Amino acid sequence: MINTPSVPKPGESTTLWLIKLLTGPILLVVALIHMAVNHYIGSIGGLLSHAEVVAYYQSWYIPVMEAIFLTTVIAHALIGVRGIILDLKPAPALLRILDWIFVVVGVGFVIYGMWLLAAVAALG
Amino acid sequence: MNTNPNIFTRILSWFDPRGKTLGTYGFMLNRITALGLTLYLFLHLIVLGTLAQGPDAYDNFLKLIENPILKFGELLVVAAVFLHGLNGIRIGLNSFGIAVPRQREFFIGVVVLSLIAIAFFGWRMYFA
Amino acid sequence: MAEQWNITLVIRRQKQGQQPYDQEFKMEANPDENVIDLVERVWAFHDKTLNYAHACHHSTCGACGMRVNNVEKLTCITPVRSVVSNGGTLRVDPMRNFPVISDLAVDMGELYRRMELVGHHPVNSDRQEAIQKEFRPAGPADPGEDFIRLSDCIECGLCMSACPIVGSTPDYLGPAPLAGAHQAGLASNPKLLDIVGGTDGVWRCHSAYECTAVCPSNVDPGWRIMELRRMLIGEKLKSWFSPRKSVEVSK
Repeated sequence: MINTPSVPKPGESTTLWLIKLLTGPILLVVALIHMAVNHYIGSIGGLLSHAEVVAYYQSWYIPVMEAIFLTTVIAHALIGVRGIILDLKPAPALLRILDWIFVVVGVGFVIYGMWLLAAVAALG
Repeated sequence: MNTNPNIFTRILSWFDPRGKTLGTYGFMLNRITALGLTLYLFLHLIVLGTLAQGPDAYDNFLKLIENPILKFGELLVVAAVFLHGLNGIRIGLNSFGIAVPRQREFFIGVVVLSLIAIAFFGWRMYFA
Repeated sequence: MAEQWNITLVIRRQKQGQQPYDQEFKMEANPDENVIDLVERVWAFHDKTLNYAHACHHSTCGACGMRVNNVEKLTCITPVRSVVSNGGTLRVDPMRNFPVISDLAVDMGELYRRMELVGHHPVNSDRQEAIQKEFRPAGPADPGEDFIRLSDCIECGLCMSACPIVGSTPDYLGPAPLAGAHQAGLASNPKLLDIVGGTDGVWRCHSAYECTAVCPSNVDPGWRIMELRRMLIGEKLKSWFSPRKSVEVSK
């Protein structure tokens, strides 16, 4: 049984799709705020300088908002890309490997992102 | 069903516009922006590591992205966020049975709103 | 005297084991006749090796689906004037995503197999109507009357040809079977929930709505797929939030 390729479980697609659906609107709101602050109101053609970024991260709710942004965008993106790959009907064994890659990349980048948030906030 | 076994042909078939209606353009746009934004996301997270290296490293990076090609790339990212995000709202609402008969008009609205937002950001990035 | 146009008809020819090629026919056409009439005339007077499928000639059988100028059409109800102008060129190809048997005739077997899998009944009795009532849009029929009513889907396959995902994803059920599942009613077959909610079901749809755009009947597969999604989401949320039932273990 250890060598059996993974078989999609009933209801799995609905759950993942629901996560993608629910992260979408959260993401859109937070992304719009993120873009307005980081690509519009900054002093360098809309972009924030290092000092401005550090100052921005001193309010506690900013790292919280950015952490929510980070987690939702990585989940949404990776579930979405997995959906595109499923459209190409990969072999079950390949899908199992890809699923592991998605989990490792996703969790890895969330951890890295959280570390970066804390590191930048601590600079102030 | 009969499908070409060549994976590249199958991928390219998603972007064949011949004989297609507005709904397929929405699908194509969502797919292209999704892939572009995913690539940008991970690159963005990696280059933001310069923030932790201090002001010199980060501000030097900012000088690099004043390059006109990269600046245009940044505008494309803004465009992709609006197009993908608003189109995604359309798809999400449709999946709950909302606005399905009006999904074509909804898509036109998404594109118009996105173009306005792109003009707004573009003006800020290039002229203000 | 009926109006006559001069048009060029280009037909995609393909025989088993041979390379496909385009064949041109210069012909006169009454702009109010239908595209199938042109194809029939080519067979009758120009080339009897041309193969194509047709039967009722009034959009009931679903046999004559083809691509006309790259758009899926039921050729028996597609007037010539709607797809070409006088002096113009009209192109006819077989439907996409079905194996070509010969020229314009394709193998519909896989579609029919999937329609049976989801329990689609092309001919509905009043009893079937009553079961499906909660999923059907309101119609003029009184469920109390004894009648036999044809279901809207004529299994023509145009939606399967037009769908961008059917082209790339061989096992995706496709708009017609998913719409058929919706028409058959999820209540009629508990296994349907797993079939339509699985990896080859509604979640492979990406809202291109080509199926609804090309459907020559009243099916609106795009809407039905969204309705199925709504039902699946409802079932999933119920399973998350409703209290667990205790399971009796037999000794």
